[in-house]
Amino acid sequence: MHIARIRMLIGALLIALVLFGQDVAGMATSSGRLDPALSHADGPKTVIVVLNFTPERFHNERLARYGVFAGRDKAVNRIRLRQVTPENLARLGKLVWVARVEPGR
Amino acid sequence: MKAERIIWRLLPLVPAMIVLATWSVYWAIAQPPPSVMPSVAAVIRTFGELVMGDRLGNDIVASMARLLGGVAFGVVTGMIAGFVAGLNKPIAEFVNPLVVFFNAISGIVWLPLVIGWLGIGSPLAIFLIWNTVFFIVYQNTVLGVQLVPEVLEHGIRTLGANRWETVWSVTLPGALPYILSGIRSGLGFGWRALIAAELVGATTGLGQLIFSGSEYHRADIIICGCLIIGAIATAMDRCLLLPIERRTVQRWGLVAPDRSR
Amino acid sequence: MRRRLRSFGGLLRNVRVLLPFIVLIAIWWGIKSGFGVSDRLLVAPPAVWSSFVTLVSHGILAEYASTSLQLIGIAALVSFAAGVPIGFAVGANRYAARSLEGFLRFFQGISGIAWLPLAILWFGFTHTTTLAIVIYTLIVPIIFNTMVGVRAIPENYVLALRSLGASRLRIVRDVYLPGALPSIVVGTRLGMGYGWRALIASEMLVRQGGLGDLIFGARTFNQIDRIMVGMIVIGCLYIVVDRLLVQPVETMTLARWGVLRR
Repeated sequence: MHIARIRMLIGALLIALVLFGQDVAGMATSSGRLDPALSHADGPKTVIVVLNFTPERFHNERLARYGVFAGRDKAVNRIRLRQVTPENLARLGKLVWVARVEPGR
Repeated sequence: MKAERIIWRLLPLVPAMIVLATWSVYWAIAQPPPSVMPSVAAVIRTFGELVMGDRLGNDIVASMARLLGGVAFGVVTGMIAGFVAGLNKPIAEFVNPLVVFFNAISGIVWLPLVIGWLGIGSPLAIFLIWNTVFFIVYQNTVLGVQLVPEVLEHGIRTLGANRWETVWSVTLPGALPYILSGIRSGLGFGWRALIAAELVGATTGLGQLIFSGSEYHRADIIICGCLIIGAIATAMDRCLLLPIERRTVQRWGLVAPDRSR
Repeated sequence: MRRRLRSFGGLLRNVRVLLPFIVLIAIWWGIKSGFGVSDRLLVAPPAVWSSFVTLVSHGILAEYASTSLQLIGIAALVSFAAGVPIGFAVGANRYAARSLEGFLRFFQGISGIAWLPLAILWFGFTHTTTLAIVIYTLIVPIIFNTMVGVRAIPENYVLALRSLGASRLRIVRDVYLPGALPSIVVGTRLGMGYGWRALIASEMLVRQGGLGDLIFGARTFNQIDRIMVGMIVIGCLYIVVDRLLVQPVETMTLARWGVLRR
């Protein structure tokens, strides 16, 4: 009986890791992600989302949930998003695969 | 008393009647488009068309041929590997984690990889079926061989039998219930894998028939196809395996559990 | 001192499980480099590892794997919550059992995947389609095995309790439920095996996320490394769910109530 319960615990932990691990990691590292200039929470902003890699269609689709896709900013891994509300900005800050979010023009 | 017997015999038809009745009523009231829900009459008509036409025959033959090929291949290789491992405890133990893992991804998970090796068509389907059947039959064979009481094997050895004779006259019959159970499971899983494989990567066959039905928004073809699949699966189980199992397992008075994981 | 030895033995056993895989990876690597197999057919282990790291760090793998897990989880809950009561209701009544047995067996022969084209016609390329198919795949074995489990309970047990004045509810709780539970759990485990495969197949066709989508999508771009990462993850996740979650429940149930077997 003991072995069975230990197995279930390990199994549950592994499943939890898959389901929530990425979100938790993102939240834990969120403090460094948003540029200090963006910390005032007022109206929709334009931001540049910087990634450490070349984004795939997957990433473009996910980012499009948080703002209006407005092209690149000089490099392929710098994506401009318009009309990002403060809530969505916070969410962007918690994405573990985003390197930084800078203010845009 | 007689009435009760008649009712008892007719009961298995009740669920089908209820389904047909609900379907007809829904169709009459909601008048859904034929691509979503055809009428019972339309399905029967389509069934007739399929039976009369030559496409269905070809598809059934293609599917059954693939199934036969894959299952035969899987059973033979599974039994051989199972005997080798079953008679050699260290080999069986060493290989076991691999078997568990590959059983977990058996079948359609291999499709994206293998489609690059074998392309679309029969070889792909046969590979996927072989994959599915092999691991099931292997596991059951190993279990069956290992569970043959050693006493019986020792007994026949003392009478002067060599290795081969022992395996043939003691181990094989002893392991047979498990092996047959494995073949039965393998057939079930294999049939599912076949349909899945044909849905995605074939030009003929029942799975492809259903898939093309969806491409042309012909729900009636899909329903017919599914019912035919069910009929064949039931027929296979009923007419092929049950009699075999009855004549061997019941003859030797052994019972086998299901180990199709 | 003895405890330390025992845990060391346990550790050694776990490492032994990995040994066959190490051998397999070595053989794989050998075949790949030795025969000069093209990258379009097979990819070497290091490439698969780096692809895994990429997929994780880019946030792709976690999301696809989560989608698959969520779908199978929801399907399992719904199938269990609906299937067990239906199985009970049917199993307890002789006539219902007789009428439904053949019907269910027939549908057990029609795999959920066969209904996929119809579900796509009805629900489109959505998660609803996948859920419908996986629930169908899971619920039939559960209903069937619940039915069988209930029917296998000897009438005497029920009569004995009733003669002692037990209420209906009490009988369900103390006789039917424990008596049928082993069969139900075995049926659930079998169903999960079918269901996981149906899930992957459905994700391949519906293409709305999930591991099936990942490996099928990678096929379009000939990303063999990603396909192999996906396959390995699919296998590992199934083993985790089956051996670390479902099997212990089965073991505990059978150990406690496994008196009445099939």
